Amino acid sequence: MRFKTEGIVLRAFNYGEADLIVTYLTADRGIIKGFAKSPRKIKSRFGSSLEPFTHARVSFWGKEHSNLPKIVQSDIIQPFSHVREDINDFLRLSHIIELLLSLYPEGISNKKIFYLFLQCLSYLEQAAAQIFCAEVDKNALYLLFKIRLIAILGYAPMLKQCGRCGQRGLFYPSEGAVLCVRCAPIGARPMQTSKAAVSFYEHGLTWPLSNLMRVKPSADIVGELIALLDEHLRHVLGKELKTAGFNIR
Amino acid sequence: MSQGIVENLINELMRLPGIGRKTAQRLCFFILSMPEEDARDIAKAIIELKEKARFCQVCFNIAEDDECEICRDKKRDSKKICVVEEPSNLAVIERTGYRGLYHVLLGALSPLDGITPERLKIGELIERVKDNNNNVEEVIIATNPNTKGEVTARYIGGILKPLGLRVTRIAYGLPIGGDIEFADEVTMAKAMEGRREL
Ligand SMILES: [Zn+2]
Ligand SMILES: [Zn+2]
Repeated sequence: MRFKTEGIVLRAFNYGEADLIVTYLTADRGIIKGFAKSPRKIKSRFGSSLEPFTHARVSFWGKEHSNLPKIVQSDIIQPFSHVREDINDFLRLSHIIELLLSLYPEGISNKKIFYLFLQCLSYLEQAAAQIFCAEVDKNALYLLFKIRLIAILGYAPMLKQCGRCGQRGLFYPSEGAVLCVRCAPIGARPMQTSKAAVSFYEHGLTWPLSNLMRVKPSADIVGELIALLDEHLRHVLGKELKTAGFNIR
Repeated sequence: MSQGIVENLINELMRLPGIGRKTAQRLCFFILSMPEEDARDIAKAIIELKEKARFCQVCFNIAEDDECEICRDKKRDSKKICVVEEPSNLAVIERTGYRGLYHVLLGALSPLDGITPERLKIGELIERVKDNNNNVEEVIIATNPNTKGEVTARYIGGILKPLGLRVTRIAYGLPIGGDIEFADEVTMAKAMEGRREL
């Protein structure tokens, strides 16, 4: 059976001598893997279309529900080549991709995730190619992207008030929630949250990325939330991410 | 019994890249028809390779001793170092007539696989370049023309450039014998960027 879909290349790993296994985020099938024959040969007809972050129209060939269909054709829609050539963007997107691959099971369609990812790539590409007129703070962009992503996937913690009784409290990464003095478990270590950070976060759960054109969170707010979410996700995943080994500036 | 030993060799050969059952069968029966001495030479060469091969302590190419043949060759141009990902990349560069030295990284940066700069031979390259006794004037980065290779090249370039030597990247472009019509926009854009005076 042949099927066609639109996807973003999340990762590609070498298989055998010159073959690749490519992981895509697609609009209508969620995360899927495909097998490409010989793309690493210099004269391959796949050209650069299987490189990370490429947005492409892809044709697969395989049995219904095959877990590794063959990639028979791949046409670039947008290459996003500037993004992957910027070391920092490459590292930060790799981090988000690892998160996505850890939290989002294969084969489940979610259009929101696909279009969120695509929009983030578009902003980054515009910024890299310097055609973005309004200065967008990349740290804020990555933060909002992450907040939206975990909100869609159902892993966003509630930061506004105590998750049990509604009182004011502190964030406990081990509990994945804000808890008041009375509800907090003994011995658990909380993180301080500022009012401004919580407010940005609460809005961010539903904001489109384009809001960053007019809303500029301070570096303090961004830093606070990045640290908080990293700690939260470490508990959710129960492991250190491989991309955490990189010093991302 | 004979079925066992034939089948055994076929299965072992199939572990090699690019060798399916058919090819393995052909090789197996070819070996069977060879003079015993020749077959023994093949087996011996494989064992010798596994026993003696190690990494050159200077460039991390495959070597028999502490230093590989290329590093020991005093006639080579030691002012140039060509950086590659794998020892297998050397052969094709050698065929171009390049006479400088090499540095093998033993991989490329790959965050999703946890391949950090520390896991590669990047620190060793920097030490080599910084060492004034080596007189390095140019580092040619010949990592693969894909995302991991490019990110690795840029990472190394960022560290080496401030040291004040020439750091170059092999050209991107269209494969010889190809047709522009079939090039994708990224490859074509790179070829345009890398154009030069006729
Ligand atoms: Zn409470
Ligand atoms: Zn050597």
